Amino acid sequence: MSQLAHVHQEEMSYARRLRLNRWGLWMFLVSESFMFAGLFAARFYLWGNTRPELDQTLGLVLTSILLVSSFFMNRAEVAISQGHRKEFLRSLLVTFFLGAAFLVGVVGFEWGLFLPEGPHIRPSDGAFGAVLYGMTGMHAFHVLTGLIFILVVWNLGRKGGFSPERYWGVEACAVYWHFVDLVWVFFYPALYLIGEVAKLH
Amino acid sequence: MNGAYRTGVIVLVGLAVLTLIEYFLAQAGGLMVPLMLVAVFKAALILEYFMHFSHLWSEEGGAE
Repeated sequence: MSQLAHVHQEEMSYARRLRLNRWGLWMFLVSESFMFAGLFAARFYLWGNTRPELDQTLGLVLTSILLVSSFFMNRAEVAISQGHRKEFLRSLLVTFFLGAAFLVGVVGFEWGLFLPEGPHIRPSDGAFGAVLYGMTGMHAFHVLTGLIFILVVWNLGRKGGFSPERYWGVEACAVYWHFVDLVWVFFYPALYLIGEVAKLH
Repeated sequence: MNGAYRTGVIVLVGLAVLTLIEYFLAQAGGLMVPLMLVAVFKAALILEYFMHFSHLWSEEGGAE
């Protein structure tokens, strides 16, 4: 086999593998969606047209942070696809810090770990506590795994592990991170915006 | 700024505007249907422009 034919075959094989990888990742995300949809449905079943009194400003800030982090993740992906390695690494780091800020906001302030008076709602506060901590907890866990994924990809990128032609690892990390954002797009109105504020105590 | 970077900025602005609309809709009563509609628009933007959903059926690799 000539060298040119060998290179062509390898490219074909990479393109096929890439397609399979993409489908595999999306299948995984669909399975994740069922779990998040279950939590979403539980919110409407248990809360109906009410919601607990949550800090609206905190909800808006957390949502904005996650949306901006998605923007920087997209920027990182575009940068590596165009061979801008420094911009790729920088955008990935910004995504990481924004994601970490979101996590700190949820755990530290929504869950009240950083508040001297403790949380406004506790997990033991009936349906409100169970749903709030179930939804934010499962989402926060995915943010945490996304942050670990970003660090791994950043480290590989630092060592030159990706090129404009081959960057599946970056694409997978980006799609996963955007999925986490996508889930929050539905969780934010479900937790903070829909329905009338109910009195807890 | 080239096209791919610009698309990201436009999507971010769209998402920010829709989030503000959501916030003010909630202050005006928090009805489920309009709020969910806005969320679906935001999800569509993320799915198509950030997650490259339509790339699933393409042969090429890469983001753009």
